[in-house]
Amino acid sequence: MEASSSKFVDQLVVPGDVILDLSNLSNQTLKLGGGLRQDGDSICVMKAGKLRFMKPNKYWVESSQKRYVPSAGDNVLGVVVDTKPENFLVDIKGPAIAFLPVLSFEGGTRRNIPKFEVGTLLYVRVVSANTGMNPELSCMDANGKAAEYGILKDGYMFESSTGLSRALLSSPPHPVLEGLGKKLSFEIAVGINGRFWVNASQSSTVILVGNAIQKSESLSMVQQKIYLEKLLKSIQ
Amino acid sequence: MKDAGEETVTPGQVLGKGSEVKAGRGAYLSCDTVYASLTGCRSLLPPSPQSPDQRPTVEVIGHKAHGPVPEPGCVVIARVTKVMARMASADIMCVGSKSVREKFSGIIRQQDVRATEIDKVDMHSSFRPGDIVKASVISLGDARAYYLSTAQNELGVVSAESMAGGTMVPISWTEMQCPLTGQIEQRKVAKVRA
Repeated sequence: MEASSSKFVDQLVVPGDVILDLSNLSNQTLKLGGGLRQDGDSICVMKAGKLRFMKPNKYWVESSQKRYVPSAGDNVLGVVVDTKPENFLVDIKGPAIAFLPVLSFEGGTRRNIPKFEVGTLLYVRVVSANTGMNPELSCMDANGKAAEYGILKDGYMFESSTGLSRALLSSPPHPVLEGLGKKLSFEIAVGINGRFWVNASQSSTVILVGNAIQKSESLSMVQQKIYLEKLLKSIQ
Repeated sequence: MKDAGEETVTPGQVLGKGSEVKAGRGAYLSCDTVYASLTGCRSLLPPSPQSPDQRPTVEVIGHKAHGPVPEPGCVVIARVTKVMARMASADIMCVGSKSVREKFSGIIRQQDVRATEIDKVDMHSSFRPGDIVKASVISLGDARAYYLSTAQNELGVVSAESMAGGTMVPISWTEMQCPLTGQIEQRKVAKVRA
């Protein structure tokens, strides 16, 4: 039996809004995602954003912030802030500094510990992020292979919001990213923690791509296409 | 101030010669002289008749500022302050049944949480910050903290609050349930005798 949808689906909700009253619904189980909380018989919103619904029974709030809340399985861009005997201390824009064990690299042993200077940019995976504890990172995937994780050399890192990071990683691809990729050649790494890194043979390309992506966040789909056309014409 | 054979002594005060007296509680031997290490009343204990060493024991006890101090082997009640990947820090609040007068820190290492499968222990599923645990002191540890252990059935989390804020009820040695939301959370639970 399908759950009757809340009338707030796909609309902007703010903390305190009650989206569903469980006493009205018949015997059903609902799955609550991020940003929602059960308070006795009512489902309340905890985070401001758009309410989303997926059949048959999943509700969640989609929001975009500059602040990142670490969660296991995320791929993020981190900056090394300190080295300890057992771990590297890496900043991932979360509430606490994350630990990257010195042996969490493919083929990592006590003899070949990488030497990272303070300020090194890394593409890492969040292994565990429990509340109250520092998140733990790894430069290997779940099978123990290096995959694409590790140090990101050259290029430049830009800050974004978590919403823009998710848009850059979504499929169908982000229009500005796709359009620029057809005309220019560059490398990009996107961290779900609100950071992305761009590298190209010329620094003017890096600056162009970074600025274009950051500007596109506040534009709608149609505006993005117009902006992209103007930008590509001006490069010729 | 001489008071029926007992006098008040301060740390560093000479209590006697090493050849005449043995150092007891609150006293120590250094270069053939027994000095006091605490403030209190000096008292002399007669030697036990069977022992070959017939020197009396001198002790320093009784100052009312001294609260109980954790000793290896005693059971303490502590509140968990921080949980990390390989250990948890706790503030010792009671030694036995008496509350302490000053702050003592304790550490519960990953290998001391339980007796079985000690390398597979997940600290986050054993303790959370704010939990009250019953632990035993294994050693004096390092300068920063005592080493505590919960590796027995009667030791572990005695009282904990759920994420919703209710005091949880234990349902097994690994799980506790919140009475407000019904959510089950994992802890290393102590077996409290009814």
